[in-house]
Amino acid sequence: MRLMLSALVVGGVLTGCALMSPPPSFTPENSPGSEQSQERQLPPPPAASSQTAPQPGAQAPAPPEQQTPQQQEFTLGAAASALVGDAHTQEESHNFGLAAETLERALSIEPRNPLVWIELGRENILAGNPSQAYGMGRKALYLAGGDPRAQASAWQLIAASLRAQGRNDEAYTAEEKAVALNPN
Amino acid sequence: MGGLLTGIVLAGLVGCGAYIYYLNVLVTHRFEGLRWTLPAHVYAAPMDLYAGLQLSGPQLEHELQRLSYHQVPELDQPGTYRVTGDRIDVALRAVEFADGSRPATVLSVTFGPTGIQDLRDSTGREVPVTRLDPLLIGSLFPVDGVDRIVVTPQEVPPLLPAALKAVEDRTFDTNRGVDPLAILRALWVDLRSHRIEEGGSTLTQQLVKSYFLTNRQTLGRKVREAIMAVSLATHFSKDDLMNAYINEIFLGQDGNRSIHGFGLASEFYFGKPLSELDLPQVATLVAIVRGPTYYDPRSHAQRTLARRNLVLQILAQQGVIKPDQAQIAQGQPLGVTVGASGAYYPAYLDLVRRTLQTDYPQKELTEAGLRVYTSLDPRVQEEAERSLDAELLVLDKRHRRHRVNEKLEGAVVVTSPQSGDVQAIVGGRNVDFDGFNRALDANRSIGSLIKPFIYLTALETGRYNAATVIQDQPVNIRLANGRYWRPENFTRRNYGPVPVVFALAESLNDATVGVGMDIGLEKISATLQRFGLQKAPDQVPAMLLGSIDIPPLEVAQLYNGIADGGFRTPLRAVRAVVSADGKPLKAYPLQVTQVAPSAQVYQVESMMEQVMTHGTGAPALSVLPPGLVTAGKSGTSSQDRDSWFAGFSGGQLAVVWVGYDHYEPTGLTGSEGALPVWDHLMASIGTTPLALPPPEGVTDTWIDYQTGMGAQPGCPGAVPVQVGLPTGTQVPPMPGCAAGTTAGTTLFQRAGQLLHRLVH
Repeated sequence: MRLMLSALVVGGVLTGCALMSPPPSFTPENSPGSEQSQERQLPPPPAASSQTAPQPGAQAPAPPEQQTPQQQEFTLGAAASALVGDAHTQEESHNFGLAAETLERALSIEPRNPLVWIELGRENILAGNPSQAYGMGRKALYLAGGDPRAQASAWQLIAASLRAQGRNDEAYTAEEKAVALNPN
Repeated sequence: MGGLLTGIVLAGLVGCGAYIYYLNVLVTHRFEGLRWTLPAHVYAAPMDLYAGLQLSGPQLEHELQRLSYHQVPELDQPGTYRVTGDRIDVALRAVEFADGSRPATVLSVTFGPTGIQDLRDSTGREVPVTRLDPLLIGSLFPVDGVDRIVVTPQEVPPLLPAALKAVEDRTFDTNRGVDPLAILRALWVDLRSHRIEEGGSTLTQQLVKSYFLTNRQTLGRKVREAIMAVSLATHFSKDDLMNAYINEIFLGQDGNRSIHGFGLASEFYFGKPLSELDLPQVATLVAIVRGPTYYDPRSHAQRTLARRNLVLQILAQQGVIKPDQAQIAQGQPLGVTVGASGAYYPAYLDLVRRTLQTDYPQKELTEAGLRVYTSLDPRVQEEAERSLDAELLVLDKRHRRHRVNEKLEGAVVVTSPQSGDVQAIVGGRNVDFDGFNRALDANRSIGSLIKPFIYLTALETGRYNAATVIQDQPVNIRLANGRYWRPENFTRRNYGPVPVVFALAESLNDATVGVGMDIGLEKISATLQRFGLQKAPDQVPAMLLGSIDIPPLEVAQLYNGIADGGFRTPLRAVRAVVSADGKPLKAYPLQVTQVAPSAQVYQVESMMEQVMTHGTGAPALSVLPPGLVTAGKSGTSSQDRDSWFAGFSGGQLAVVWVGYDHYEPTGLTGSEGALPVWDHLMASIGTTPLALPPPEGVTDTWIDYQTGMGAQPGCPGAVPVQVGLPTGTQVPPMPGCAAGTTAGTTLFQRAGQLLHRLVH
């Protein structure tokens, strides 16, 4: 398991030395402004409308413009990559506390990189703390939007943390999700 | 008669002998086991340097100066740096981190247009990442206030013992603990100059006085001091005595903290290690020995300068230094740091102390020499202090009409949402005051800060989303006591059908109470507790308008969960504790638990972005750098007693409270009081924009801000905003909006945005 995760992550490290372009976002410039701003300057009440609350799946004549998430691939930057390497060395000498501190340094450099969270989760499994590893796997999954490979690694971590807690059925489901995302 | 006299003399002699023997045993026993109690020393988070870090040359210089590095033309010793064009070479000191030590080393940092381009060591090899020194930010000293840093003989510049001997005890190397001739000479000098220039006590006597005796000046005590000094000098080497003196002696007072030993004095007066002091600085410390209050270089600079120059003159006369060295040194300013200590953050230390008190007995904290590594970011802390101070000054002037006899107060908490690290805490306007810590102890009503949690709970039911139209209409709720509760909107008017995003961004009370009552107080209470609310709130309808009294730090814990996508990460000020000999004692590792589905939290977050662009947070637009996407929420308690703003970027969460300590109305909404502090802070710390792709099951969708109908940018008559909606949600398009954009409308709306920025 550890080897598999490491391979996934280290594979990511080897493919590049910098994060890809940041995830898509919108800025205030993209959003046309309005003159409404403060509580004291609310806009006039909108005209009475017979509109009903839109519900998921409800039919409507024409859907508004929707933005679909862009694909991207997370990699580790040089600094975080060096620290992850240091953490691996520390793990080899069973110095898990030190390895966790080193990975937290990597996290302070790239706090939204799911690969660092996966590393930290993996370290928590090695240190015998699978419930924390589970939280980190969920966190990695949340951050890995648009990157199926990182998502698959996150599911693998979740599966490993569940298995370590004896939750084998859930672990199996998580592994299936990982394989579905990244059959390789 | 003669026999009686002989008997008395004999008895006296025996008594004296026994007393001397007793003192001898006492002195040797205690000195052999000499161990100073050492307060825990507390350090800020060290800054990581790496290629790609957005840090300019001047910013790095500022960081180095904060750590008391000084610029030199050529690197000579650790603690110095050199600037050459777009490169800064730094001679880093040997330091101890929480996870190991680093020897002194030279680092070359090259800067490009966006920050650090390249890091290399002295051999030219690339360095992927390295750290600056952790800044010492304070000590957890005991009730008696004794604080010290113990130094080894190797850490003492050779000039210091030589100077101490020349000025305080010329026969130190040869005397037996006391020097009768010195006493006579001192008397003669002092009589001639009509002031105390020299004391007669040897260094050994001074050591005895400081270590074993009280400050009472009695003849008996003088005799005792002399006997003990002789005893010490008989049993111990001169090197041992000198080292003990250097670590023991009192050298200044900082509030209720007393500065002992040259190691701490060097940090206290000059902000750097003893080993890095130059000649005039060593001479200043030697000058202070004579009377740390009388020769306080900060409050009596002239007097201390004169004494320092006298010390330099004596050193030249005694051949310790050359006369021209003395002359040059005498021309130097005192060069003490401005503040009592370069970095003193009592509100932050307060949180550190409280964290540690649960794990360590008081005695261990104040006596065992622990090293405590924290999450404090000195840069963020400084900006937080500055922002609160500057904006409260403005608010005080603007709101004098309230005729309140006290000044507005405030508190700030800044965290790193992903790690839960508390980066800064400001406990009030007087940041140097170690007193009431509002950030931790001011339990204040959170007002509308509760609303994101109400809407999150609503979204979790699956019956609401950002585009759902809800009714903003008068509310009339019969309470358990039979009375009726009739909350009103801030503007005292109702808006009828509005989308959820509008109700949240404009902080509509009536619409929110309607939603809250629909989903139930119990569920909302449970959401708050999942995010970290410590005490279950009273489940009364007023809870929906934030009648929950908690301190800013607890608000930060709640909002940290939203900023972190629905993950609860316990906030932490302490990262690690290390024993005096460098052994790791306790780590405070990062913990993370998912407490709400990311999909729903993302949708709430996207609505909170609209607070910043269209709603109650919009005044910040003119202050924040263009492109800095943030999300937040204002809060105002009843009668404007509390003005809150809580919001986050991609890198930081900041919570600001402004109000009066005695609960007088401030006349300030959250947007008017706390928001200016918040945006001043966010604009000054170089934080990163919010940038997250929508999680699975959520799609970013353009809707009209006021109707919730589908409306892409450029749609005539619409105020399009982008919010996250459950994938597959169909929202009806705004009439006339299906055809897409028209240039004229876009230009019109652009102009509106520009006007908006100019007005605010």
